Amino acid sequence: MQLKNAEQLHDISPHLRIQRKTRDIMQDVCIALLPALLGAIYFFGIRSLLMVLVAVISCVLSEYLWQKMRKSQITAFDFSAVVTGILLAYNFPVTTPIWIIVVSSIFSIIVVKQFFGGIGNNFANPALMGRAFVMFLWPASIAGYITTYQNTPDAVSSATVLNMLNSGKEIPYSLWDMFIGNIPGAIGETSALLLLIGFAYLCYRKVVNIGAALAYIISVLAMTFIFGNDGLFTGNILVNLFSGGLILGACFMITDYPSVAPRVKITIAVIAGIITGAIRVWGLLPEGVCFGILFANCLSGLVDTVIKPHIYGVGLKK
Amino acid sequence: MKLLKKSNFHGGIHPADGSDKILSNQQPIRILNPETVEISMKQSAGSVCKAIVKEGDQVSLGQLIAESSGFGSANIHASISGKVTEIRKTKDEQSNEVEVVVIQSSENMVDHTTSKTMAYQNRILDISGITKEEIITSMKEGGLIGLGGAGFPTHVKYETPKPIKYVLINAAECEPYLTCDHRLMLEYGYEILNGIQLLIKAAGAKMAYLCLEDNKEDAANHLQQLLEGQDLPVELVLLHTKYPQGGERQLVDAVIKKEIPAGSLPADIGVIINNVGTAKAMADIMFTKTPLIARCITVTGKVKNPGNFYVPIGTPYATLIHEAGGFTTKNNRVIIGGPMTGNSIMIGGELTHLEGSVSKTSSGLLVLEDYSLIESPCIRCGECERVCPAGLAPFKIDFAAIEDNINLCEKLYATECISCGSCSYVCPANRELAYRITVAKTEIFNLRREKGGKR
Repeated sequence: MQLKNAEQLHDISPHLRIQRKTRDIMQDVCIALLPALLGAIYFFGIRSLLMVLVAVISCVLSEYLWQKMRKSQITAFDFSAVVTGILLAYNFPVTTPIWIIVVSSIFSIIVVKQFFGGIGNNFANPALMGRAFVMFLWPASIAGYITTYQNTPDAVSSATVLNMLNSGKEIPYSLWDMFIGNIPGAIGETSALLLLIGFAYLCYRKVVNIGAALAYIISVLAMTFIFGNDGLFTGNILVNLFSGGLILGACFMITDYPSVAPRVKITIAVIAGIITGAIRVWGLLPEGVCFGILFANCLSGLVDTVIKPHIYGVGLKK
Repeated sequence: MKLLKKSNFHGGIHPADGSDKILSNQQPIRILNPETVEISMKQSAGSVCKAIVKEGDQVSLGQLIAESSGFGSANIHASISGKVTEIRKTKDEQSNEVEVVVIQSSENMVDHTTSKTMAYQNRILDISGITKEEIITSMKEGGLIGLGGAGFPTHVKYETPKPIKYVLINAAECEPYLTCDHRLMLEYGYEILNGIQLLIKAAGAKMAYLCLEDNKEDAANHLQQLLEGQDLPVELVLLHTKYPQGGERQLVDAVIKKEIPAGSLPADIGVIINNVGTAKAMADIMFTKTPLIARCITVTGKVKNPGNFYVPIGTPYATLIHEAGGFTTKNNRVIIGGPMTGNSIMIGGELTHLEGSVSKTSSGLLVLEDYSLIESPCIRCGECERVCPAGLAPFKIDFAAIEDNINLCEKLYATECISCGSCSYVCPANRELAYRITVAKTEIFNLRREKGGKR
């Protein structure tokens, strides 16, 4: 097949192109993540900002150096690494050592993203892979959850809401606190309100489709409600909804482009939801968002092959 | 008037906001009689004819100057009276040699379009005296081809042995910027309706649907008024304004609610589709006994006075741009056809360097601001898949084409691509999806032909 090279493609039709480019999309995601960052600073202190900055700089820098080394097209400044950095930092509690953030950023970008071919080719969400990587190697370093500055004058270590729920303890926080994010947890995941504001912006800008996020949330809630602690159909829907990383995962991770085949997004979201719910109900870990989504990411290619698209006119009798 | 608001085809885009069409859709069609015409012996893709006139010959309006050279081509006629001053040889995109017959008009020019004195221009005629064969013969001899862009000879469509139920008149004009069909409907309503009548008869069809997008409601209302009280089996269908609504397969899907099976023609499900301009030309050919020698073309974009022109075939593009007031930008990109599927013929040049002339298939002459794009990696956003009217996964075929994996392209149904360009339009990474898929598609067809199989 004879294909024209880049210089010869200048006059190729269509002669109208959409104004929104990769960079704009990634910038939109960054803007959508900002409210949650402000929330993190308010609830967990200025160290959250430091964590995010460290993660972003490590991500962009490692991508840049890698592309420089490989002498490939430099796409490090298209904001996709910034998104990965922000999401990665959001997944850690405020007590996480800085070096852990640096190491996991490098892992996310180099191993998960660049080893598989760079932007668009990662088989799973790089931020979640970074978190999973730390969970296996240095689990203790990201287990130091603390209460927020708004709850107690001094942040003291505390179990997360899901931990309490799993062990059957009384939950000392009101639903409102859980909704606005005034609870212990990873810095970016606690405030459902602020994440949803960002997500609404993404939907308005048509960067993501609300379908996959809804499918994911509904299937997690269905799983946890049906198989509740006190028998069938007794799960606590609202606590499950506003605690842990469910909203963050639904709004910003399951909607990640490359790790989910676009045509089967909803199906993948449902699979991810079932796995997440199962981990929350029966698993050893209190939280299942990370592994639920990663698991579904790995199935994406298979599901895309199994569910056949309808192609105009194909399969009809002549 | 039938309103098909709900029915829809899969995918599609809204590449423009309507400000593009306003440039030219309020301007009445201007009739132009150039002093020289340069008639190319290639009037549509894949059909090169051979001129039967010599340099120095005197030709008169409507005289045959090239005969159909086979299945995909049609007769070509002199579009003005005068002297053949030159037979120039040029190369087309596939570097085939193409002759261009240059005719200098003589003093007493016959004005072929201005006054509406003929009966068919003012009322709906009774055509019971005309037989189906007569209509098809006049199509064939008049050199009628599809005026929408593909330029398939019309008589070939009507010679099908398949029973035809409906004739779809395509007036969707979904390409941004183009308004020539819109203006034709407003100004040549009776010609169009008489033409449609003839087409229904030629096809032996039950009825015709005249399909237009809802951004041309004024044209629909006008035609509806003309149809009022007439016993004509023509129904108007108002469709969503969405690109590519005027694609043959998408139109059938939206109006008849049936899909054309892969590898078949519309005739296989009992439908013939013709452009509205073709319907008008049909009436002109039949009632004036003059072959197809003129067409309406939109000249728009970055020109001083955008508008629609009714011109003889062979009118040089430079003359048209000159008539429209010239370029308003130095950094221009001149496109023949619509912005989505048209070909660029000049980038950043002076008007004097503009070559080429109006062919039977030129629906627009568009000047846009030139731009450069750099392709970046695919981010798997899935937009191309969402908008693809054929339901394909353009990004996957794109990868397969880059890897030269023609088998994979075929498995991903690259052959079903309609080359509408929607995927390239929406791609945030500037990937030239439509281009590479079209190359792959052509390659697959070539391979199949070599193997001796059919398309």
